[in-house]
Amino acid sequence: MIPTSQLRKAAEDALAFLRTQDDIEEAEAFVASNGQMLCRLNYTSHIPSNGLEEPKSTESYGIGLRVVLNTPEGHKASFGSEGSDISLEGVREALAKARNGAVLDPEFTTLPRATGERRTLSNYHDPMLMRANDDGLVEAGWQVIDGSLRTYMSSEDLLAAAEGGDLRKLGLIVSGDVTILQERIAVASYAMPRVQMDESSLIMSFITSMVERRDAKGSGYGAAQRLAELAPYDAGRDAAEGAIRQMDGVRVGDGEYKIIFGPQAFMDILSNLIVPGLNLGLFYAASSPFQGKLGQQIASEKLNIYDDGAAPGLVASKGITCEGLPTGRTELIRNGALVGLMANWYESQRILRDPKGREKLGVDPDEYALAMVPRNGFRFGTGGGRLYDRDPGISGTNIVVEGDGRSLEELAREVSEGLYVGRLWYTYPVNGLQAGDFTCTVIGDSYLIKDGRLAEPVKPNTIRINDNINNILQNVIGIGNSRRPALIWAADEVVHTPEVVVSGVHVQAIAGYMEQL
Amino acid sequence: MPRASTDTIAELRAPIYDLVRQYVRSYRQCRYADVRVEIGEGKVASVENGMDKQSSEDYGFAFGVRVIAGDKATAPGYFGQTLGSADLPNLPKVLRAGLDHAYHRAIANAQRKSASRERFGPLGDALTDAALTPIDVQEATVSAHYQRDPREVPLQEVMDYVREVSRTASAVADGVVYNYVYGGTMLNRQLFCSSEGANIDQTSALSEGMAYIVAQGNEGVQELYDFIGHQRGWEVVTGGVDEDYFQLPNLMTFSTSLARDTVDLSNARACPMTDKEVVVVTDPHYNALVAHEVVGHPTELDRAMKYETGYAGRSWLFRDIEETQIGKQIGSPLVSAYSDPTMNGFGYYQYDDEGTPARRTPLIENGVFQGFMNSRQTAAIVNAPPNGHYKATDASLVPLIRMSNTFLSGGESDPQRIIRDVEHGYYVVGHRIPSIAESRENFRITAMKVYEIRNGEIGELYRNGGIMSDTRDYFMSIDAVGSDFRLFSIPNCGKGQPMQTKRMGNGGPTMRGRARLSGAS
Repeated sequence: MIPTSQLRKAAEDALAFLRTQDDIEEAEAFVASNGQMLCRLNYTSHIPSNGLEEPKSTESYGIGLRVVLNTPEGHKASFGSEGSDISLEGVREALAKARNGAVLDPEFTTLPRATGERRTLSNYHDPMLMRANDDGLVEAGWQVIDGSLRTYMSSEDLLAAAEGGDLRKLGLIVSGDVTILQERIAVASYAMPRVQMDESSLIMSFITSMVERRDAKGSGYGAAQRLAELAPYDAGRDAAEGAIRQMDGVRVGDGEYKIIFGPQAFMDILSNLIVPGLNLGLFYAASSPFQGKLGQQIASEKLNIYDDGAAPGLVASKGITCEGLPTGRTELIRNGALVGLMANWYESQRILRDPKGREKLGVDPDEYALAMVPRNGFRFGTGGGRLYDRDPGISGTNIVVEGDGRSLEELAREVSEGLYVGRLWYTYPVNGLQAGDFTCTVIGDSYLIKDGRLAEPVKPNTIRINDNINNILQNVIGIGNSRRPALIWAADEVVHTPEVVVSGVHVQAIAGYMEQL
Repeated sequence: MPRASTDTIAELRAPIYDLVRQYVRSYRQCRYADVRVEIGEGKVASVENGMDKQSSEDYGFAFGVRVIAGDKATAPGYFGQTLGSADLPNLPKVLRAGLDHAYHRAIANAQRKSASRERFGPLGDALTDAALTPIDVQEATVSAHYQRDPREVPLQEVMDYVREVSRTASAVADGVVYNYVYGGTMLNRQLFCSSEGANIDQTSALSEGMAYIVAQGNEGVQELYDFIGHQRGWEVVTGGVDEDYFQLPNLMTFSTSLARDTVDLSNARACPMTDKEVVVVTDPHYNALVAHEVVGHPTELDRAMKYETGYAGRSWLFRDIEETQIGKQIGSPLVSAYSDPTMNGFGYYQYDDEGTPARRTPLIENGVFQGFMNSRQTAAIVNAPPNGHYKATDASLVPLIRMSNTFLSGGESDPQRIIRDVEHGYYVVGHRIPSIAESRENFRITAMKVYEIRNGEIGELYRNGGIMSDTRDYFMSIDAVGSDFRLFSIPNCGKGQPMQTKRMGNGGPTMRGRARLSGAS
């Protein structure tokens, strides 16, 4: 990792150099250094394996420039970057690329300007995570395996299930990862010349464990900004305990069900179907399922969702965006009404000048400008990192679903007969996001609800949900109280959600032939 | 300062080869090491609604390292880094530091593995030494194929062409309310050197285009996107491809055709959803995604051996080493499938990312499951010969078992006859979006277009349709396979952690079977 002092100086020097260039009307320098350390697990009791399969890391640093050029054809906007060089030589290389690639974008207005909001989050990273080393990485991975295997070895239920007491024959699996993200940025521009720094760190673990011979799958996960706040051992233990509870699950028939979606399952729905539709850029492209509905009811009155990139202690918080603007809280759905959208600077300005802006949003964009404050302009890479070599897109941070104070037991009593679904898989908008139709399968951590209580586990990979996101949102009938950060594979945002109860969900039984294999 | 370019690889080849060979000798516990270094040079442009949005000419430079080391036990360690031209003067030092990180991780991993073997009794027995199946170690140089060198195509030409395509797509009909068009051309060169003596320098060209169209019609808003690409020069984007089984229109024809389809669909009724199986005829483009999702993914041996349990899922074809579907009938005798990196297509290569020579791998023959795509490590565990399917999206990332050109093979039936013989059914055209069960035992894949078939004639067009089925039942139901096999380009296959998005080829012929029709919910 490049020290913050070097990043700051690089941004200052870059800005000073850019000001000497006659053809530049305005410019922004973004300097970043990123590390991602990750140990990927694959323990299988019935197949030879390495246990800790991939202790690995990737690193990058460099400088990215956004510039507006005065040319005979008009103002051209452009971007250029150079990796592994934040000296003036690197700035010159990046600028040469920006000049070469400049385009006349009639919808471009300016580079970001101060929004009037103030930064509220500083010095929130964990120096311990920034100093994580090879031994620590490897140890974190093996702690997960320790947690799972010790749990399995001490389980009387499992010993009873094992033929001759040989646990190996049950097909025990420990899969997943422990990931550490280390991010440092410096950003400065003509409009906001004081160099702003941000340093963020994150450790997360997402573990799946199985008793495969009993078709049982459990999950364990956690995410924290500080090393001391996440215990990889616990994630391994939780996943194994979940798998043991899931042994010998039952099949469920076709039908309409009341379903309690657990935090991870509801995150799957949010991240794949709802959050993308709350991106202002999709409204411009007429592709959101909530097109033309800003200010209107789109969900049950029970549902309240916001994005908060500045919440102290929440794992996905950042001090500033990758455009140098303060992060903050954006109300998205309040009492079921669509009240706000996630934006970066470019989209927040474009919609104000779009002749079809009113039609796309359903309201006058000027009157709703405060519903689209650019607090979500990030340059996230896949799997994390704030990368120097790309323009800012729009990404969620901490997506928070407000609870209404009801325990899981109370929710189950209200459902009476139905399903608890803890984990979904491949939740995709199969007819395009705008249509809202989606499908997914239920892959673990799930139970029947009988007589108002969680009963037998549901066998993984035996039911498919076919429904529409608008039905799901309208049919929310209850929300729990035990909010926790949830993760899914390859999502930018972290979702903090309690259980959410939805009525009338369409379920189809699948893959009956697997019983005969 | 020297600038990194694809030509730089030639200068790096000898010193990197020497570094890797010597590195292993310098540590007693180091059993194996390999280094991948990759440099790419490319140009891209994107346009929305005829308005320029982005154009760029840049290079990418990265390396990745694998080390296997240990004493009482052996285990792997990895390291990857994105580089820039500024790293060139110190590259040996940078690579050496990367090797050191990977080595230390491997040693720490091996020590912990050894301790865990003892700590967990019988459960520790599964923790075996990391081993690679021996291969015929190669020294080779592989050249790229192109008419127009991606390095020589002016960026302005790319921009001008993409803009013209977008403007033409906008003008297809009033119903087109949004379009995004992208085009790009690049040259990539990768060096692979291993402590075993592999020294492989492979260069490939890659050119591609994408269109995303949104249309408003009488039945609402419809969105479609699709992609073209080939391992050739910019000529394939402007001129199309007309090879034996690989045909693509140019980006202009492709995008305007997609725009017309989107407008037609925005005026079409929603597809009905059936609760019983119906006769479905699927076209080659649709079957490219069936081959990808329902044949290719479950035949990746890392997935089958549970590596992806936490992410991309497992495979219903493999319970454990003693209990697989190999040799069993999983489809009708008309169904065969292969993965072949040596075929011309988007998934072409000569050597994979651990130096294994690529070769055609049978997956299904006459309905009988044959085996898996593998890597050297997974091949060692199941005692199979390596077949060269270990690939990374970028040199800084750890390779995974990946599809190459992976496809359902063609048959002997006239595709028109396959439709004419249907009294009532549905013609499912063009793949769209998949949702596959975790072990790929069930699928729902939507189509761009669904037509009703009545008395052998194509009838009403429906939007938002597709099919869903249990995998084995569907393949067993196939009763006709067309002679019209085609290969397509898939740009965005996600796998691994962090997710790697990879380009590859998938294809198939026209096929007829039975499945439930999916529609709007």
